[in-house]
Amino acid sequence: MPSDVVAALTEQTRRYCAKEVNAQAIDAAAKIPKQVLDGLAELGLFGITLPEAHGGAGLSLADACHVVDEVARFDRSVAVSVGLHLGLGTRGLVRYGSAGQHAQWLPALATGQTIAAFSTTEPGAGSDLSSLRTVATEKGEHLSVTGEKSYVTNGAFAGLFTVAVSTPGLGGAQRGQSLVLVEPKDRGFTVQREEHKLGLKGSSTTGLLFEDALLPRERLLGEPGQGARMLQHILSWGRTLMSAGCCGAAAFAIDKATEHTTQRTQFGRPLFALDVVKERLARLRARHFAMEALVQATARKEQDEALAVSSLAAKVFCSEGAGWVADEAVQLHGALGFIEDTGLALVLRDVRVTRIFEGANDVLLTHLGTSELARRAQEGPKHSINELESALADFAQSLSSKYKLRVFRTPRLLHALGIATEWVMASRAATERAHESQSASHLAMARLIEQEARVVVAQAAAVSADDSLFHQVLGLERPGATS
Amino acid sequence: MTQPTIETRVIHLISQLVPVKSQDIKPEQRLRDDLGMDSVSSMELLSMLAEDFELDVGVEDVADVHTVAQTIELVKVFLAKKAA
Repeated sequence: MPSDVVAALTEQTRRYCAKEVNAQAIDAAAKIPKQVLDGLAELGLFGITLPEAHGGAGLSLADACHVVDEVARFDRSVAVSVGLHLGLGTRGLVRYGSAGQHAQWLPALATGQTIAAFSTTEPGAGSDLSSLRTVATEKGEHLSVTGEKSYVTNGAFAGLFTVAVSTPGLGGAQRGQSLVLVEPKDRGFTVQREEHKLGLKGSSTTGLLFEDALLPRERLLGEPGQGARMLQHILSWGRTLMSAGCCGAAAFAIDKATEHTTQRTQFGRPLFALDVVKERLARLRARHFAMEALVQATARKEQDEALAVSSLAAKVFCSEGAGWVADEAVQLHGALGFIEDTGLALVLRDVRVTRIFEGANDVLLTHLGTSELARRAQEGPKHSINELESALADFAQSLSSKYKLRVFRTPRLLHALGIATEWVMASRAATERAHESQSASHLAMARLIEQEARVVVAQAAAVSADDSLFHQVLGLERPGATS
Repeated sequence: MTQPTIETRVIHLISQLVPVKSQDIKPEQRLRDDLGMDSVSSMELLSMLAEDFELDVGVEDVADVHTVAQTIELVKVFLAKKAA
């Protein structure tokens, strides 16, 4: 449950967004009006996770998730802009920045006078952070940065960019990455044109170009060469906040679907009276309940190493969930759902990218499966507390026993384990939340999710390493051939 | 099999997964922090090693392998077990 302070802030945000944020107008203009961003800044939203010593509110990740969730109910572009600033944009500076860096940038970031952006993705490197080609090399007292970045949220109006660059040799790591802070005025640095997108049209997405951009050495964030480690923490925050935005988008879609099915009459009675509609709405609500529970369970691990793995599960579960919920809400509206005025088509377009950015889900699932196997190997066998947890443990054990280390060279197996893991984590979070509240509807929703999770785990456990049929379909000469 | 040969073969395999030349890979280097491997590619490496040396290594056996030297040691231990 949010604290009184956060509940009050969330309520203020709700009132402000209901009055000032028009999602369809933002979508049509492909831009968030400046007065909307100014209004959110006046509410203090851009400083909620920043330290109090520098003008922020010093709230927790879990608190910030409540706020981003609320904004996303009204508009996803605005939620992404704010969430990016609070997570990926400023987290590196807050956690790893020096006192001088804090003093220089945090006050303006806390008031929203300066908006933050973050960049890792490159034209030739998406989810693979080890393949960065933007390179920073030492040049006297400066770093010379050369390269190109893609899909930078808040790019057009950001006043500070945290950028991941390759720094071979710096800090002793032969192939290390580092993080650097970049300002739009830096010589040799250019923000490129806006991308035209399927959804989230109001949010800014640009490229960045570095042409021998000279940055003072003091722009290095944290330890040189330790970028990969820092990125893991920063991305964990970003993914958690993004998951919260998915919850808000799903909540909006469910509200619309509930409203429509209770008001729309078909065959002489409201749609809601039909069993099939009731089941669908119940499943939508259960999924949303599990999404929120997993986000909060994840966010509460903000000081814990477990945040990294939990945020992978939350990101995948919530982005897949938001897409499914939005699609189901459109279906429940019939033809009306296909009309832009309903607002659901916009949600459907907005949430599509959440399965792609901040780590494509398929990549994250493979990481999640790998992490699950590695964790079980380190911790050894444990007593499973229920049937669902036992099913996951059996699945992981069967992969280890049957394939041994080969399992790590078979991404399909890891991917399947990742899916099973994600669902079990979501079910666990939903059950814990339901037990805390002891609400009958919460307990019923947790049971529904547990039932679905059992089916998902059983399906995932049926995966086989045999990919010969796929190769035959694709006309490859022999199983295992890659070209 | 002599020790240098094992080291050379291990380092050669590592060089196939990271853009670092064999001669620049040192035993004290960490697979993730120094060579840029992530959890997936480091496990993939150990998997390749098990296949290349025809070792019966379990998932639980590699949980504490973090450096090039530990990787080499793992191979040596399992080769010795195989020969016994």
